[in-house]
Amino acid sequence: MHLTTKEEKMYDGEYGWAPQICMRILTRLGDMFDATKLIPIESAHLSGVSYKTIGDAPIEFLDELAKTGKAKVETTLNPSSLDPQMIRFSEKRHEKQQHIIDLYKKIGATLTLTCTPYYLKQPQQGSHLAWAESSAVIYTNSVLGAYTNREGSPSALAAAIIGKTPNYGIHKPENREPTVLVNVDAKLKDEAEFGALGIYLGKLLNDKIPFLGGLSKYTNDGFKQLGAAMATAGMTPIFKTRKPPKKTWQETMTVKRKEIESTMERLTTTAKQPDLIFLGCPHCSLEELKKVAIFLRGKKIRNNLRLWVCTSRWLKEGAKNYVNVIEEAGGHVVCDTCAIVTWLKDLGIDSIMTNSAKTAYYAPTMNKVGTLFAPLKECLKTACL
Amino acid sequence: MKTLTLKGRPIVSGHCKGTALVTKKPISFLGGVDPNTGTIIEKSHDLEGKQLKNYVLCFPHGHGSTVGSYVLYALAKKNLAPKAIVNQTADPVVAVGAIIAEIPMIDQIDINQISTGDKVEVNGEKGTITISETKPCT
Repeated sequence: MHLTTKEEKMYDGEYGWAPQICMRILTRLGDMFDATKLIPIESAHLSGVSYKTIGDAPIEFLDELAKTGKAKVETTLNPSSLDPQMIRFSEKRHEKQQHIIDLYKKIGATLTLTCTPYYLKQPQQGSHLAWAESSAVIYTNSVLGAYTNREGSPSALAAAIIGKTPNYGIHKPENREPTVLVNVDAKLKDEAEFGALGIYLGKLLNDKIPFLGGLSKYTNDGFKQLGAAMATAGMTPIFKTRKPPKKTWQETMTVKRKEIESTMERLTTTAKQPDLIFLGCPHCSLEELKKVAIFLRGKKIRNNLRLWVCTSRWLKEGAKNYVNVIEEAGGHVVCDTCAIVTWLKDLGIDSIMTNSAKTAYYAPTMNKVGTLFAPLKECLKTACL
Repeated sequence: MKTLTLKGRPIVSGHCKGTALVTKKPISFLGGVDPNTGTIIEKSHDLEGKQLKNYVLCFPHGHGSTVGSYVLYALAKKNLAPKAIVNQTADPVVAVGAIIAEIPMIDQIDINQISTGDKVEVNGEKGTITISETKPCT
């Protein structure tokens, strides 16, 4: 890899330990994936924030890094393990979580604590980023037209501190072209079916890039569910839906209604009544908050049931009207966390109902809870029965 | 004494001698290894219960969360990390872990040629592993 004089000095440790270790991470990864140089990034988004998910492992490294490392670009953070205004766990958990957040703050991250940082500030089309959080990666590549590899927690952090990333993978135009033609021979009715399509395709495609033909009715929220699910079941960093750029494909596949339906069925693992209805994986958009509020206006959530609508604190504060309606109905607009990255079992929750295919896919193993997978409207109907 | 040198790719520089600990299964450092003891805790992994400390750890590649890199760092801080890492195909999680923990590492090595208990020498600059004393055949 070619390094500039300043980059070489950082590599050699003239700017301290943190820039040196970050340069080592970026150049070794660059070498492994045949990058030729580092390119400037517009922003970084970091995973590895929830104490439930990461435990104590990163604390020592972050502590050392924070002494000489400062983010050079706008840096946002994934959700933590709790919403301190809504959920109480042991003191120790709250302290540990706060300690991790404080270390990221010291490094210069904005404490967004959301998996949908693109709702706070949309990346410029064509800009290069270093984002972790696979659902945000695939959304920003596919829907917003910015470019980021699927970074891991340390590589995104290193990129934030250097302000650059190695130019491999999705940063190169030739690696963004779809190679698999997917004919979707089914009318998708709602966001849950988009999610089911994502799970189905993610498993088949692994890291191959699909062009999705035949989608008639879609919204960005549908694409958010599709992408999050595809990136959960596989490694795909981008999908395309507009104008196929070429006529020959390495592979062609057709998805029929029966595949969508069987995937939907498999994402439900329990017949029990849910203890929690969870909406907002990935975190809700303003449009989704509005939909929930419109449905809940004048209704009441059942007594023995909890409703969580997860979003970022920024959106919650900007959408007070919708939030009030949801809360008057007895629901909770939960921020800074989500059902997957918190300790659901410790809140007495054994089964959840969700419209998110990603959550339905993860929750049985990551949270040891049963899942019921259904579209938003059905989730809300169940909440109010 | 029979010696065998395998040539791979350097990932992290450094030079060391040690005893090989070999598995054909990938290792997930987050969840699969106890960060406080450096013991493999993944259920039904063939190294379950094994402490990694001071071994030249040979495995195909890592898997699982990228936070796993930090586990290697935490182990190194507690002197519980493996002495060197030899992979079939390095993945970003283990490579970054070895970089920040400063553990010599090489990849593109056919780990089928190495057995647990072999005395080995890893050269992280050249990307080589020399097996100087192979375990007697049983």
